[in-house]
Amino acid sequence: MTKTLKDVLAEAGIPMDFESGGHSPSEMVDREVRRDPHDRVVKLKEIYMDTLSSANSEFPYWYTREYVQHDSEIPVVRRAMSLKAAFVHSTPVIYPGELLVTHKTAFFRGSFPMPWLSEGYYMAQEDELYQEALKHGSASADEHSKFGQGGGNVTKSFGKVVSIAGKFGMRQEEIPALLRLAKAWVGKSVDDLGHKYEQMVPGYEVKEALMRNLICMFDSGYTLPQGREIINYYYPLEYGIDGLIDMATELKAKVAGRADGDGIKGTNRLYNYEAIILSLEGLKAWFENYGKEARRLENMEKDVIQKEEYGQIAERLEWLSHGKPRTFVEAFQMILTVHLAVLNEDAISGMSPGRIAQVLFPYFEQDIAAERITEDQVMELLELYRLSISSIDCFASTGVVGGVLSGNTFNTVSIGGLNKEGGSAVNRLEYLLLEAGLNNPMPQPTLALLYDEKLPEEFLLLAMECIKSGVGYPAFMNNQNGMTFMMNQYGPEGMTVEEARSWAIGGCLESSPSCWKPLHLNGKEYSVPGGAGQPTSVGVHFIAMPKILETVLWNGVDQRTGEQVFPPHNRSLDTYEDLFDQFKLYWQQAVDVLALTNNIQHDVWRKNNMAVINSMLKPDCLDKGHLIDEKGYRYNATFNVESTGTITCVNSLAAIKKLVYEDKSVSLDDLKTAIKDNFGFKTAKEVNSFSLSDQEKRDDDANDKDKLHFMCLQAPKYGNDDPFADDILLAWENFFCPDCSNYESLYAHSMYPCQISVSTHGAMGSATIASGDGRLAGTTYADASLSAFPGTDRSGVYALLNSATVWDHTQSQNSQLNIKIHPSAIQGASGSRKLLDLIQAYMRKGGFHIQFNVVDTKVLKDAQANPGNYRDLMVRVAGFTQYWVEIGKPVQDELIARTEYEGI
Amino acid sequence: MTTKFNHRDCHNYAPIDVVKGMCHVTKTIVIGDAEQCETFDLMPKCKHCTQFTANTDVVEMGVCEASTTEPKFFAYPDMVTVTCEWFHQN
Repeated sequence: MTKTLKDVLAEAGIPMDFESGGHSPSEMVDREVRRDPHDRVVKLKEIYMDTLSSANSEFPYWYTREYVQHDSEIPVVRRAMSLKAAFVHSTPVIYPGELLVTHKTAFFRGSFPMPWLSEGYYMAQEDELYQEALKHGSASADEHSKFGQGGGNVTKSFGKVVSIAGKFGMRQEEIPALLRLAKAWVGKSVDDLGHKYEQMVPGYEVKEALMRNLICMFDSGYTLPQGREIINYYYPLEYGIDGLIDMATELKAKVAGRADGDGIKGTNRLYNYEAIILSLEGLKAWFENYGKEARRLENMEKDVIQKEEYGQIAERLEWLSHGKPRTFVEAFQMILTVHLAVLNEDAISGMSPGRIAQVLFPYFEQDIAAERITEDQVMELLELYRLSISSIDCFASTGVVGGVLSGNTFNTVSIGGLNKEGGSAVNRLEYLLLEAGLNNPMPQPTLALLYDEKLPEEFLLLAMECIKSGVGYPAFMNNQNGMTFMMNQYGPEGMTVEEARSWAIGGCLESSPSCWKPLHLNGKEYSVPGGAGQPTSVGVHFIAMPKILETVLWNGVDQRTGEQVFPPHNRSLDTYEDLFDQFKLYWQQAVDVLALTNNIQHDVWRKNNMAVINSMLKPDCLDKGHLIDEKGYRYNATFNVESTGTITCVNSLAAIKKLVYEDKSVSLDDLKTAIKDNFGFKTAKEVNSFSLSDQEKRDDDANDKDKLHFMCLQAPKYGNDDPFADDILLAWENFFCPDCSNYESLYAHSMYPCQISVSTHGAMGSATIASGDGRLAGTTYADASLSAFPGTDRSGVYALLNSATVWDHTQSQNSQLNIKIHPSAIQGASGSRKLLDLIQAYMRKGGFHIQFNVVDTKVLKDAQANPGNYRDLMVRVAGFTQYWVEIGKPVQDELIARTEYEGI
Repeated sequence: MTTKFNHRDCHNYAPIDVVKGMCHVTKTIVIGDAEQCETFDLMPKCKHCTQFTANTDVVEMGVCEASTTEPKFFAYPDMVTVTCEWFHQN
């Protein structure tokens, strides 16, 4: 019988299903806290749960049709004309029971391709797609009701539905149009033009080899060029659409033909304001068309209550198409529609609404005082909002959406933090927002709690209840760390301590610069926070540290493909210091060429595909007359360098240092031979599991590497408060963090480190051979940037916290630590208190982020075997929450294998 | 002979996804490709527009005669045109 690694280790007395702090009950244990949303929300959520991710060609059709008409127009105006045409012609769709309306497309969970960014990933499948389209559907309507496996993912074509990019379903009738639109952008898209010019960077062949071998995952400028930032709703809330059009028109007249001291881009302001006006006209028409649809439905509706609601929706939309919001519900509708408009402008993940309970508080406070709304009605709207935001899909390639995003789009809402004056920013609406997350558990918006010692304990204990419900939010982020990072990175652009207090989380975990603006409502002024910075998680995307180590060990050659990625270093690596030195040199070479090539991609983007709507919203573009491409944003030093596989690499370096260089119990060559041979095991792909414990011995294995494999597995590991491993982490961070400032973005600012894995630890792990820590080929890396490798944190949870905080987290935009806790470990009020104590201990040690999966591992195993029974099961992965059935198997396997804490 | 349409061609149909939608009249979820019912109300689409000329050799494609570019910009018969200023029902 074939032996798994789990069997082999059990025989050796090293059990892998490690439980820390006790043993879990033998039966499956459910989460302690469960609540339900309002009936209206339940009904709409039932639709969502059975909805397929769907794409259509409407928006790209009208965008492209307009674009081709204006060959010689100024690029920013041409882009705005195209956006306007697309919004003007977007079909509105409203579903019975909705109160907050507007959708990205005329689907419940819709999206669309943007061939002006990249058309290659579906052009490459042209033949296959076209053949699908040519087939006349012989399947009956009944057969079409077979919905795809894995939640809303359309992973396979069926009937008249064609699966694109492994996730999105498109009607067969639209495929020829999709291909025609894609062809229109060949050679013109940001992807194609960027590729043309990036090849002019010296050493470009290294960049291509890095991408081909999955040492870096993925390009930046044409994939998700915006996002991981905080949107700003201030201007539409303060002025309304007509007010903004009037303002831009007035400013346009003021700057027309004037350089005003800037001989290079001063006159560009005219075209920029013209583009802003055009995009606002598009937005206005979008509101109007939704208003018309609501009126149409009102006129045909027989049900009295529904008819009245359609009428109220129509009235709101008609008002918002020109006026500024007057009430809570109008303000909520405004920010939702504006948010979706920005998402339709570009391929975006992580456009975070930010601290919306602080932005909407003025309307809430005044409506409650005037008895225009009740808290129960507010709660219903907050629950509905979770449905709207969870329905946001981003159309991109399989690698991006599946391999990195796991289908999530990271529209994170931040709560807590400090106000402008330095006091707690928590307000009554934030309590309701948190409770809405409990009542209506859905992946989005995930909640980021900006933890500060000044926050009220009652609020923090409510957050514990939320975590105990198993939703994976709110994540705790260290407010003081965030502010320190803001001051360090954005101080040179003028950030003050007062302004640093307005920061929030963009994307899943990206600290983003913001600012305060004075909102006026009925004669009262409020300071409201909102984004003021460019996108983050742009620049150099995920570099796999274990892959860099692999190329160091093999003289620049990737062992999976045999390709020479880096020039040979030809060093004998006689000492650990030599090894680590070469690691740093290859790392720097990779970052350098990736920074340059991605700068070019973003440069093409800003010349031809710049943000107009998002720019208009962000301070200080309207004031300056410059958009993102001309550094109109208040903060522009947002480009970064992303790492992944940190802990897997640290553990591998620790094992090599211990076994080869200190104990000298094995030679480097013998260790490399064992690693290359995968320690006598089959590949993860052969086994069809990406969990270390499930890996199987090869039938022909001579067992001659078993002893060495055990030594690697038992070598010092991160997560145990063991200085041997932790000092390696410290040395890495002390190199990596300051090294990022050696690379300059296209906006001429220094970069900084971003240490999140999203889902890359699964995808990139699958492309990595075995490693020195005993991890086997193709299995996942450790999750996030500071989570322990599954089963290796054996010294208690506080030892893990000590290991994670050996370095100064304020040097980095973020760090990530996720822990799996059995529900029985934190039951009752005392359990909540223990959990809060643990979090506060981590924050006080200087940790930046911590979050938990409160789940019984037995439930996860059952969910993997019987996904149909677990459509609504959610888990925390890296920095986000996602439905279990919508994440890939490698990440599922890692979650199952992760150490389960039975007591804290 | 009366042309038979399906739910996807009905203005009462609010598409939920590529397979199904909500009928605004019955408030039930219906399969888009299922045959029209008695409450059918034609949804404006390119294929019902006088400005649309079907392509004779490429499946599911045509030309929008209202387009001002040369050659005329393409159109596809299934596209919804409730917001199109050039739509004129044939």
